[in-house]
Amino acid sequence: MMLSKLRVVWTVFYLYLKQIAIDGFIIFTVIIQPLLVALLAIYMLRDIEGFQAIYVIVGSALTGLWSGTLFFNSFNIQGERWSGCLENIIGSPTRLQTVVLGKVLANLIISVSSMFFSYPIAVLLFKFRLTIAHPFLFSISLVMTIIALMSLGLVIAPIFSLNPGNIMWVNAFEFPMYILGGFLFPILLLPGWTTPISYILSPYWAARALHITSSGSTSLSDVLIYWGLIIFLSLIYLFVSSWLFRVLLWRAKEKATLGLQ
Amino acid sequence: MNIIEVQDLKRIYHAKIGVLRRKVKEVLALDGINFSVSQGELFGLLGPNGAGKTTTIKILTTLLTPTAGRASVMGFDVVRDATKIRPRIGFIFGGERGLYWRLSGYDNLVYFANLYHISPDVQKKRIPELFELVGLGGRENEKVQGYSRGMKQRLHIARVLLHDPQVLFLDEPTMGLDPVGARELRQAIKNLQMEKKTILLTTHYMFEADAMCERIAVINHGKIVALDTPTGLKNYVQDLSIIEIDVFGIPHDAVERIQNLDGVDMVSVENRDQKQALRIHSSNGAGAVAPVVSTLQNMGLRVGNVIVREPTLEDAYVRLVGGEI
Repeated sequence: MMLSKLRVVWTVFYLYLKQIAIDGFIIFTVIIQPLLVALLAIYMLRDIEGFQAIYVIVGSALTGLWSGTLFFNSFNIQGERWSGCLENIIGSPTRLQTVVLGKVLANLIISVSSMFFSYPIAVLLFKFRLTIAHPFLFSISLVMTIIALMSLGLVIAPIFSLNPGNIMWVNAFEFPMYILGGFLFPILLLPGWTTPISYILSPYWAARALHITSSGSTSLSDVLIYWGLIIFLSLIYLFVSSWLFRVLLWRAKEKATLGLQ
Repeated sequence: MNIIEVQDLKRIYHAKIGVLRRKVKEVLALDGINFSVSQGELFGLLGPNGAGKTTTIKILTTLLTPTAGRASVMGFDVVRDATKIRPRIGFIFGGERGLYWRLSGYDNLVYFANLYHISPDVQKKRIPELFELVGLGGRENEKVQGYSRGMKQRLHIARVLLHDPQVLFLDEPTMGLDPVGARELRQAIKNLQMEKKTILLTTHYMFEADAMCERIAVINHGKIVALDTPTGLKNYVQDLSIIEIDVFGIPHDAVERIQNLDGVDMVSVENRDQKQALRIHSSNGAGAVAPVVSTLQNMGLRVGNVIVREPTLEDAYVRLVGGEI
């Protein structure tokens, strides 16, 4: 049965990638928008003392990762509803979560590619020399980032589908995460009352792990703590996600919202 | 043995109305319906739009929770045992939606085959067979967005047969198909019945229900108003003759006047291009023709063809649902 579930995840992942790979909105969100953010951040910050180009490049790539995670997953279930496939999925023996997981993973793979598009702009346009201080730790931090955003994606997907009208709020969540997640500048610059909010967001810890492993200002114990917090928060997100999916299905069958809305 | 059991099934929808002071309006979609379908039976559900046909099918396919009553498929309760029902049934809701248009027909079937946990070995054999069965052989690698409506409908039939379900729910499967496509699909459904599949079919086409279904339930305003064989339903109008008159531009008061004539049981009007077809249920046989025609002519209306014929299932249906088509 496990193998069968994995096959479902793989099939959804592969066929969903096939559908979205050439989507113009995805190209904008994952490639063009992070490039614009990187350009803007470099112009704003490059004359400030202690400016680190790698910090800005990793940060702008994180904005692409977050925007991709937010936008693609908020439409994850809604898209199935609009295409009329949601009823076919719910009426099959496969759980909706399994299908959504395949799509979340495909979205992440596409979003991670923003990492690779932000890098050349700094090198080619601004002639910065970019080196990642701890490539091995950085790679593991990137995997942790994917875990963080995967679990968050599994929360986002049902939240924006609980009520068909929820989708109109999606834009409101994009920029706050750039700021509260400390993607482009440290959260120390923000008012103190925002700090606890950052602490419960796994992308914040993922950003810290990526920033310190790329810029070199790190000790292994700090990175291990960040990874631990990412896993801890991701487990909480998965628990919340599971509850949200139960509520979503119950409400949809009760209010007859599985079909087109 | 009954495969589908429906007992006192009730479903109420809550619709919100208004903008500032929003009120919740209750809409009674199913009002305590009862029926059962035996193994291998092709059972029809007929009724006007909004009568409760699709609601019934959605409850039976575990996609909707009933407000009250009980329904079971193959002995499993649709609410409690939904996960046991799903691998055993297949369903189609009429129309082109429910497929991934950016994928090929083949990829669509691979996708749904995996949702039903069909092993890759079986998929490799069954998917090409199904493409041949539904007449899409050679078109499997084309994207679904390039398929015609009929091809999409046939792909739905292939999709629903992937896991070889024992019970099929077909909600207006021939809707929008051209006559040849619809005929082929009807034949495919008949073939499935010969394989002893239990089928619940909804349709707006009376001749389709007449030709295919062993028993038919007529549903209107959430209630079953008749349940019988097609022949049994026709007996509801055995005492009547049907007069069909082509008229051009009939006003509403003309219908009322004809309705009040002796021997006229019921009148319905159907628009056909630039003319209207007046269908009159007459308990006076052809004797009602002369007064009806003279009434129309006295009102200055141009009268075309006049036909007197035996009642059909459609006439029985019209009488049962009170003129709503």
